[in-house]
Amino acid sequence: MSDEIDRTVLPIRRPPFTGTASQTLAGSDPDWGLIGHAKAPAGAPNVLVVLIDDAGFGNPSTFGGPIRTPHYDRMAAEGLRYNRFHVTAMCSPTRAALLTGRNHHAVGMGGIPEFSCGFPGYSAMLPRDAAPFPKVMQGNGYSTAAIGKWHLTPEGEQGPAGPFTHWPNAWGFDYYWGFLAPEAGQYDTMIAENNKFIGVQEGTDGKPFYFPEAMTDQAIDWLHGVRGHDGEKPWMLYYSTGCSHAPHHVAKEWSDRYKGQFDQGWDRLREETFERQKALGVVPEGTELTPRPAEMPAWDSLSENSKRLFAHQMEVYAGYSENADHHVGRLLSSIEEMGELDNTLVVWIWGDNGASLEGTPTGSFNEGTMVNGLPLTDQEQMQLALKWGGLEAWGTEMMYPHYSTAWAWAGNTPFAWGKQVASHLGGTRDPLVIRWPAKIADPGGLRSQFTHVSDIGPLILDLVGIPQPTLVDGVEQQPMTGVSFAESLADAEAPDVHTRQYFENFGNRAMYQDGWWLSMRMPRIPWRLDPEMLKTFAPGVWKPDEDPVELYYLPDDFSQARDVAAEHPEKVEELKALFWEEAEKYHVKPLLSGFAPFFGILPPIGTNSTTTYYGNVQNVAPGLVPRVYNRSYTITADLQIPEGGAEGVIVADGTHLGGFSLYVEDGKLKHTYAFLGVFEYRQESDGALPSGDVQVQVAFAADEPKPATPGDITLYVNGEQVGKGRLEHSVPFGFSGYSGLDVGQDNGLVADRAYAAKAPFAFTGTVKKVVFDVAPHLDADDDLAIHTHARQSDTVRGVNG
Amino acid sequence: MSDTEYDVVIAAYLIPDLAHDDFDALVRLVAEKELEVEGVALVTVDPDGEVAVEETGDHLGRKGVKLGGGVGLVVGLFSPPLLAATVVGAAAGGVVAKFAKHQVSSGLGEKLGGALPPGSAGILAIYDRAKTDLVTTTLVSAVRSSTAEIDGGGAKDLKAALAEAQAGMGGG
Repeated sequence: MSDEIDRTVLPIRRPPFTGTASQTLAGSDPDWGLIGHAKAPAGAPNVLVVLIDDAGFGNPSTFGGPIRTPHYDRMAAEGLRYNRFHVTAMCSPTRAALLTGRNHHAVGMGGIPEFSCGFPGYSAMLPRDAAPFPKVMQGNGYSTAAIGKWHLTPEGEQGPAGPFTHWPNAWGFDYYWGFLAPEAGQYDTMIAENNKFIGVQEGTDGKPFYFPEAMTDQAIDWLHGVRGHDGEKPWMLYYSTGCSHAPHHVAKEWSDRYKGQFDQGWDRLREETFERQKALGVVPEGTELTPRPAEMPAWDSLSENSKRLFAHQMEVYAGYSENADHHVGRLLSSIEEMGELDNTLVVWIWGDNGASLEGTPTGSFNEGTMVNGLPLTDQEQMQLALKWGGLEAWGTEMMYPHYSTAWAWAGNTPFAWGKQVASHLGGTRDPLVIRWPAKIADPGGLRSQFTHVSDIGPLILDLVGIPQPTLVDGVEQQPMTGVSFAESLADAEAPDVHTRQYFENFGNRAMYQDGWWLSMRMPRIPWRLDPEMLKTFAPGVWKPDEDPVELYYLPDDFSQARDVAAEHPEKVEELKALFWEEAEKYHVKPLLSGFAPFFGILPPIGTNSTTTYYGNVQNVAPGLVPRVYNRSYTITADLQIPEGGAEGVIVADGTHLGGFSLYVEDGKLKHTYAFLGVFEYRQESDGALPSGDVQVQVAFAADEPKPATPGDITLYVNGEQVGKGRLEHSVPFGFSGYSGLDVGQDNGLVADRAYAAKAPFAFTGTVKKVVFDVAPHLDADDDLAIHTHARQSDTVRGVNG
Repeated sequence: MSDTEYDVVIAAYLIPDLAHDDFDALVRLVAEKELEVEGVALVTVDPDGEVAVEETGDHLGRKGVKLGGGVGLVVGLFSPPLLAATVVGAAAGGVVAKFAKHQVSSGLGEKLGGALPPGSAGILAIYDRAKTDLVTTTLVSAVRSSTAEIDGGGAKDLKAALAEAQAGMGGG
């Protein structure tokens, strides 16, 4: 195909037949171009987009941070650093904006895919009029792949029944390998490949599985495969790490590299980072370091115990992050070995939002405690850390760790706040490095144009010579709102092209225009989603225009240190009005749609309360697991037990840090309920199970249908009660953000460490079917209460993504 | 024989250094005769799981008793040789050991060992009950601790108290 073809309409039209077709081959002349494929524009380079998760402007050494990132440093030295690059303050919204080149609300991703709300900006349903740029590249002759974290598929669609219109392949990727969830254990990641979950994978070369390593191997294998197939076809690879999102899982050898390096605490670390940033020039002269919010404790106020624990939290986080840099380095080396690095446009974003404040001030041995609203003191956190292996286990599969809020704040130096807080640069400004020798004349240079994550798609299309399509699959396209800043690659003095941008995540808002930034932070701290806090924002109570505002002029105030709202009331009003205009245009309204369930605004209640799994169904995604929370339920299994007995797992969900398992061991029916790693409740049958066709059941009788309800557990065999016990606490929101339900075995980390040595502890009889009934005794009011809480749960789980 | 009544405390530490600090403070109290103990021991578990028992010696110095990683603390702390020499014996300047003649095999060690993961530490002390507050404030960096009264002077009494204290270490 020539470059004269119309690339504004996709798929690119098949060229007309230019040969001759006679009655027979005699006299016929083939047109070999007919069987060709759309080809990329001549000279179009490969494209590598790297996205690091949950990280801040002051994390990597490339931007003055304490975490050694030599490969990021190298890309910056051979390319450009952008120090005014912005993301949304949340995971999925940034990813949607990145891949579509449009504002997140405009493509339905104002919230998160765990909760689809019935407003256009919050449906989590990618509209067909917003074709992602990888799909555009795919249609223009690129091989495309996405490897790693996804977090853009509505939770209710993450199963074999689909639909698959929101899975990665449908976003324009020929190949996908990674996890769909907001986060995942790095040692037992539940992997999806293309349109199917393939579950937890084995390690290679005798080593245990580790996601960062495995995803890099997958990426390299894919590149090798593409190049082996076609020596010239350009590729586009989206490499999206699970790091540095919780759980902070990394081998000790990596965290040991930072031993003692954070003993000075977060206040001093901020100062040290800031000094390095000034020395590097990534913050301009005159920048001020913003002060610590009152919600975060001064390092000097902590006990020695807390200091030591917290310092180790950051050692692990730093090792985890450096490990991510290491694996990107492996990928880059592979591309270099193929001789293609200089013909690859590398776009590397260090953070889809600012570093995460969601660890609570203490940090946690299990992020799930925060997700489930379980408040723990620092003393309790230490006790539980001790229970699961002590400091040596922080970073291992025994925990699901998240560091203290204040470390995240330190990682966002020099800015205030962090993830979720769209009103401030701590949540919205992250490092960007671009390397492409063909265009960049001053390697190692710094760029300070105001840029936004939605600009990346338009930039890439611009640089590779592909126009933004107006029609895709017959659907007229909404224009990309991002703007190519290609000119700035060659010209440090190129003018800003992105001059207006709104920001909004979960009610926190900002309006930027021509250097002015109006911050409208709702008075909610990111780690609190409790009713007391939320009632302040109920419909009719919260009046967003009455939120306190701050005004900054960023050209003179890089870090938002000098609030000039009082001096420019007219600018405040102007930007407030402009925000609402943008909100109208891009479906931002109604604000707080993502929190709608907290205010009784709910999708219709489903009528089906039973789920049946025939045979050994595996790897059921967390969002599709029957909602055995805050209510009575039964799990009934029909088994075939051979003479001599059987053992193994009948059905299990989650891990030892949140989950349950119904299993047979020593001839007895056993049930374990893991309450977030805090308590374990175990029950077992009095006697041995019979052989032959056997029906077993575990029944939970909730004291009342309310969050975290206690209740009684009863075990039955063939209708006869054989055991009982009590759950003094039950999990209110969710066992795990990533670990799936399995029938007939317990994949990945098991729900009861007692049988960990036998994992996956496959059932040696036959599980014919398992039936969940989550509404055995509910009346209509109870059902509504449960439904309300379930939808709130969806929101809470996704907020951390 | 003294009429002093004793308690036993088991304290677990996330940070071994801080256990050392508390242990030294406790020993200092004994040296300064502000506290009477029948025995006090510091147990550390290194990152590889190797257990070491450090105890107050004849001169209130510490000496390490290295144990294999597979050796439970029941052996380290309460098997006959160490019971006398390490824990209850000549601690704190040669106090006559009230429980020294008894052999105690409480099973505490396995349980305590289970509660002390690699990289952690624990302190066990048998002390004058009247000084409970002093001991509590001295073991300031303990992540978790549990105390039990020793009702008499026999091995069963000590064993029962140890079991009670150990039970208090359970749960979250």
